Amino acid sequence: MDIAKQNYYWWNKWSGAAVIILMVIAVPVFTIFFKIFEPPGNSWRHLSENLLAGYFLDTILLLLGVAFFTFLIGVTSAWLVSNYDFPGRRYFEWLLILPLGFPGYIMAYTYTGMLDYAGPIQSFLRNSLDIHITGSLLDIMNLPGAVFILSITLFPYVFVISRSSFLQQSKTLQEASALLGSSRWRTFQKVALPLARPAIVGGIALASMEVLNDYGTVKYFGVNTFTTGIFRAWFSMGDATTAIYLSAILMLFVFTILYLESLQRGNRQFGNANSLTKPLERVQINWQKKAVFTTFCTMLFLISFLIPLIQIIYWVLLTYEKVINYDFFLLIFRSFSLAAGTGIAVVILAVVLLYALRLSPFKWMKNVTKIATLGYAIPGAVIAVGIMVPLLGFDKWVTGIISPDNVRLLLSGTLFGLVFAYIVRFMAVGYNPIDSGFQKIGIHINEASRLLGKGSTKTLWKIDLPLIKPSLFSGILLVFVDVLKELPLTLILRPFNYHTLATKAFDMATNEMIAESANAALIIILTGIIPIIFLNRMIRRKEA
Amino acid sequence: MTILELQSVEKKYSQAENFAVKDVSFKVTSGEILALVGESGSGKTTLLRLIAGLEHPDNGIIYLSGNKIVEGRKSVPSNQRKVGMVFQDYALFPHLTILENVKFGLPKNLPDPEKVAKDTLKLVGLSENFSKYPHQLSGGQQQRVALARAIAPQPSILLMDEPFSNLDAMLKDQVREEIRQIIKKTGVTAIFVTHDTRDALSTADRIAILHKGRLQQIDSPRNLYEKPVNAYVANFFGKRNEILATPTVDGFYTPFGFIADERSKQYSEKVRLLFRPEHATLYNEVGQVLNGSIFKVSYYGDHQIVKLADEDGKRVSIKTSPHLDLSNLTQVGFSLDYFEVEPAF
Repeated sequence: MDIAKQNYYWWNKWSGAAVIILMVIAVPVFTIFFKIFEPPGNSWRHLSENLLAGYFLDTILLLLGVAFFTFLIGVTSAWLVSNYDFPGRRYFEWLLILPLGFPGYIMAYTYTGMLDYAGPIQSFLRNSLDIHITGSLLDIMNLPGAVFILSITLFPYVFVISRSSFLQQSKTLQEASALLGSSRWRTFQKVALPLARPAIVGGIALASMEVLNDYGTVKYFGVNTFTTGIFRAWFSMGDATTAIYLSAILMLFVFTILYLESLQRGNRQFGNANSLTKPLERVQINWQKKAVFTTFCTMLFLISFLIPLIQIIYWVLLTYEKVINYDFFLLIFRSFSLAAGTGIAVVILAVVLLYALRLSPFKWMKNVTKIATLGYAIPGAVIAVGIMVPLLGFDKWVTGIISPDNVRLLLSGTLFGLVFAYIVRFMAVGYNPIDSGFQKIGIHINEASRLLGKGSTKTLWKIDLPLIKPSLFSGILLVFVDVLKELPLTLILRPFNYHTLATKAFDMATNEMIAESANAALIIILTGIIPIIFLNRMIRRKEA
Repeated sequence: MTILELQSVEKKYSQAENFAVKDVSFKVTSGEILALVGESGSGKTTLLRLIAGLEHPDNGIIYLSGNKIVEGRKSVPSNQRKVGMVFQDYALFPHLTILENVKFGLPKNLPDPEKVAKDTLKLVGLSENFSKYPHQLSGGQQQRVALARAIAPQPSILLMDEPFSNLDAMLKDQVREEIRQIIKKTGVTAIFVTHDTRDALSTADRIAILHKGRLQQIDSPRNLYEKPVNAYVANFFGKRNEILATPTVDGFYTPFGFIADERSKQYSEKVRLLFRPEHATLYNEVGQVLNGSIFKVSYYGDHQIVKLADEDGKRVSIKTSPHLDLSNLTQVGFSLDYFEVEPAF
């Protein structure tokens, strides 16, 4: 126990590992940042003169449209289920979260197929009512269509977050407002809504991130956003620098949204200082109102989830004999193992990062470690470009040393690049449950073990990990689901001819095989619903 | 034999304005029980965690069992220090049985760890159901398990963070005595942190008083109580009366009368006489050494506090038996059993 042999207390192997992980995770962002100082590629001029204005316009209109509709639908439905008692209210509380399990691109081509000439609606009109329509019943393959699709899949972000905000508001505040003579509507406008504003805007910001990340919907509908621009530059023009320029602009959108969100939040945390908050008492209403509210929620659920799901199941019934074969099972197996492997990798890295933070004497480490979770805000296409460029550079460098005449691919175009990108993008998804797991068990238990002579590694294995097991599982599960439905990043980084369920479904749909694509889509949706039900049960248990 | 020594230990948290611990030095001898006492924010818990190696000082040296375990920013990790600790929330491992909890810290080369663990549990007064889990035990039992877990590996020193704060008042007296017995039986050196002076006075061999990160005084309970080095320490243990007095050759003139006392020879200027309410004796008649008029009598069941006033309205409080009948009296006499003298200015 000689002091001279002891290290400085603030350095240990965990902080070393954390620093390395953080640096690796920051690679895509650094790439974009440093590459924008390089001269533009060949196609930049053409693109900036002819396409850039369109990218801006479509992206901004899409963002504003989705923000408006998610706000409208999300807040209305949240206010209804948290304030009034009407038939089915208890079910809508979680049914209206389910659309989150529906990836936007699947929703997009499901609706397209439904409204199509050969789709069920037109077939019905034609065959039963003898009404003939030429072309699509309602052309949704345009910007308003994309707003519609993204709004019905993303409104649950706003719904969930504003519902919990409404529920947390003190009953006494609303009672005070009522006693001061306000109607229910005025109370909503003047008290409940302003109090919930930070939460609601947070929900809209999340939805906006998803809009910027989306590739499948806009591509399918022919809307030209920055994401589709990055794909065009990368695949059609083969121009990495232009893709990076576009990525940098897209990142500006992200940072603007994050900045506006934090600006509006300010220092205001409209929490309740008073812990004696009683839950809101639901208002009893007459049957006419009940009928209206139930109808509204039912319609919303039908449009955003049930009807498209039934359509998909119908397609599966039509095509499963053709589609489900050995290759399809191989595809499922591959997708699942890729998603599970990524989930496990993310959780391991998150544990290392958070354990380093746990042992660190420095409070500011918390903010440094948070860097690892920023990937969730960065659109998949940007991460993909930010990873592909350095990987290609690395391959050229290494093979150039070995045999200068024969430059080959080592890391780029392999699963390594893909999993790396998934980890960057979904670190936050695994990080947050583990963070709260560690916080829940407290630090004393870890300190007690170390005082009893166990080193930090042994303490992690014997004490911390067994106690946060549920958090580890939910971390893996959440990452699993996100990886399974991920599209843009996978399309850019997947190895040649390698398919996941998501890329296969998208591929089939864009190749006029919508009905066939439903088989893969159904698996993605059903797995996507699992964590929603799982999380909802956890919330319920907490409320009980 | 000195088992623990701190030399000029200092600690400042990064965001804090003041030092959490400033220039603290003291020694602890083998087998003694030391209490670290102070208000919240005085640095007492930080000091305990510095000794445990859970926090790291900015400056200073710490020796434990003759080894230098801290020097400036270098330090021996907690797991190599052989320090036992009982946390305020006990920090029992919820997924392990109480026997496994106690076995957890035992060295690998021990021939029969099971027996050592069981013996330690019996020592702290737990004798059955070693296969229970912590959540199945009462708070008091959990504390015993935590104590057993800490002392089973025979640590060089035992640290306890607020060991009595989670107990209700009825249980406290009993637990204090039991824990003192257990510690003395094992012969382990112990340091505990408390904000309750009664815990410290009744349990500790010596007490260290901390205020704003600085060590005010470290001494036996009696000396701290009777000979506090400064006003902070004195007031920490309860009220002290002050009387202004003029020294003469053979005593002090006070507004309540004259006290004969040898110490008066050392002073020429006015002095303050300091005494605690229980260090005076009250008589239900006048004509004693000192006399005053009754201002207020407060009855507390097991004692009463009598406030006396002099002619100028200056007051002193005196603790007396609840049976002393003071009704219908306006004037009473009193004498001082023990008092300190300080220059007045």
